[in-house]
Amino acid sequence: MLSRFRNTPRLVLNYLLGLLTFSAATGILYLLRDILDTPLIALLFLLPVGLNTAYWGLGPGLLTALSAFLCFNYFFLRPYYTFAVHQTSDVVVLIVFFVVAIVISQLVGQARSGQAAATARESEATKLYELSTALAGWQDDQSIARILAEHTLQTFQAERVELTAQSKIQNIKLALPEGIAVSSRKPELLVPLQTVRGTLGELRLWRTQPLNQPAEERLLHTFASQGAMAFERAWLTQTETRAKVLEESDRLKSALLSSVSHELRSPLATIKASITSLRSGNVQWKSSAREDLLAAVDDETDHLNRLVGNLLDMSRIESGALKPQRQWNLIGEIVGGVIARMRQAAEYHKLDVQIAEDLPLVPVDYVQMEQVFDNLISNSLKYAPPNTTIHVTAQKQNKGTLLVKVSNQGPTVPQEHLDRIFDKFYRVTDADRVTGTGLGLSICKGIIEAHGGHIWAENLPDGFAFNFTLPLTLDGTPPPHLPVDSETI
Amino acid sequence: MNSAPHILVIDDEPQILRALRTILTEKKFKVTVANRGEEGLTLAATNPPDIVILDLGLPDIDGIEVCARLREWTQVPIIILSVRDGERDKVAALDKGADDYLTKPFGIEELLAHVRVALRHSAQLQGRKESVVKAGDLVIDLARYIIKRGSVEVKLTATEFKLLAYLASNTGRVLTHRSILTHVWGEAEADHIEYLRVYMRQLRKKLEADPERPQFILTEPGIGYRFISDE
Repeated sequence: MLSRFRNTPRLVLNYLLGLLTFSAATGILYLLRDILDTPLIALLFLLPVGLNTAYWGLGPGLLTALSAFLCFNYFFLRPYYTFAVHQTSDVVVLIVFFVVAIVISQLVGQARSGQAAATARESEATKLYELSTALAGWQDDQSIARILAEHTLQTFQAERVELTAQSKIQNIKLALPEGIAVSSRKPELLVPLQTVRGTLGELRLWRTQPLNQPAEERLLHTFASQGAMAFERAWLTQTETRAKVLEESDRLKSALLSSVSHELRSPLATIKASITSLRSGNVQWKSSAREDLLAAVDDETDHLNRLVGNLLDMSRIESGALKPQRQWNLIGEIVGGVIARMRQAAEYHKLDVQIAEDLPLVPVDYVQMEQVFDNLISNSLKYAPPNTTIHVTAQKQNKGTLLVKVSNQGPTVPQEHLDRIFDKFYRVTDADRVTGTGLGLSICKGIIEAHGGHIWAENLPDGFAFNFTLPLTLDGTPPPHLPVDSETI
Repeated sequence: MNSAPHILVIDDEPQILRALRTILTEKKFKVTVANRGEEGLTLAATNPPDIVILDLGLPDIDGIEVCARLREWTQVPIIILSVRDGERDKVAALDKGADDYLTKPFGIEELLAHVRVALRHSAQLQGRKESVVKAGDLVIDLARYIIKRGSVEVKLTATEFKLLAYLASNTGRVLTHRSILTHVWGEAEADHIEYLRVYMRQLRKKLEADPERPQFILTEPGIGYRFISDE
């Protein structure tokens, strides 16, 4: 069936071969004419009919049947060499032969074309199976497009395949084989990529040979619909992921909003209450009470200022605007400055700094690193019991990084919370609500990561520690050397 | 200065202006206020102040430009006001001639301390220049190149002395990284902040009782350094 339109020379060859087989058979039978009975010859003549149909197809078979009928009459029925028939029994033999020959060639021919169709369907099914296996599991539309185009190109032996698909999110355009100039010709075949929701795109094929109806056309359409379904699946997954991300960011925003409004209002409430009390003329405040109220206002103002600063930093980190101005600095100087400023806050604790003299210069943003130390030490002061020591150490590691540790003798944190304490607004216990903004540690994480470092928390046998690493090179370069100095003035 | 020192405050926030005017008048200063940069420049020219307090975020012209235009004709001390994280602007204003900075929000004691330093500095500019600076147990004789801690003489390298001399002759003032580097190492080295970090550590080790918690050579994060001497 398939070869009927495609290969005319092959068809002619089939007929020739059929005739050749038949002539050979006739020749042999002619030589044996005197030995064999007429009915036996008729029977033997059916042999080339059946063989020809089986090997060369229905057409050559039918031709053989007709030729056999004529030759049988001409060469083997008396009187020989005429188409006239004298005996009635011979007429019957001739008619039966003709009918049987036709029926045999028909039956064999049908079986043959049935087998061809089955083979074609099998290869169709195989190709479809290959396509759907290749498409399965891909969620990314670029890969789907490539697989679909590659399979179409191979299966249909096209010169060129072009694929276009549009979703709300993006447009895909792909042409195979790559590197071939766009054909000036219009594509011979256009198949829409259709799903229930509508047309997603189009598959264009350049192929001079027309499709074999209907099997190839059916296969092409099945390819297109398989592809369309794969695209649809991929895009639905993408939409779902996007929706999840949006939902998550929405959830964070409302957490931020509720935390912010709570955090901002509490100091404002204190300030407002204190100030209105002091202003009201009805009460004569004792100087100590007056001092307390004013101290509360002062503290709460600082708290509010810190909070606003933290919120700004957080939004900068999240929008990627927190770009560290990395310069060569001494960690010791940074820690020293922070501790000097915290002296009052740390009056009930001991602070112990162990930073080696020969520690190299570290490429960091001075102000941001101050903030990291400030937040980590403040956090330690908050949880470590009074009269305990907070240790700050920094040492060079082999891998060209600096390891900084801020440890305290405070309570440990359950293992499952260790990673999450750097999350925004994450609190280990509800009691933590009282102080802080819930942002300090996540700002530290943002700053350290912007520096190319890594921060983590760990429980110690007798306390708790924050660790972070910092690279000791700036864009791959080590610390610079200083100019030579004369010894004395 | 016989009469009350005259302070010009340039800020566009009415609440701050109101508060500063009230507080500074109470502290016996003569106060003029302006809420625009151009207005401030005009007021400074018609009625020269002893100190200018300048907010960097003005609606009409950039505070940094106000600094530069004031410096074209006057050496009046300028204290700039800026928000947190405005290091870049602060440094730019200081490099354009501002003398000091304060970060909003600030306490009034802090402001008054900065005002006092600025007034003293402008008095020094006008009058004699101290060649001996005292800070705690430290005595720095800039003219004779002698530095003593208590009774012990401290040996400095040439660069260390140059650095200390620049700090000590600007006592109380913020000096930006760039200005120190330019002054001590030259214009070409103005970006080598690491020189400062290393030399300041050396100086502190020689001069401070606890180099990790300095009393005299203070770091101004992201800006520069400040030398604190006795009044």
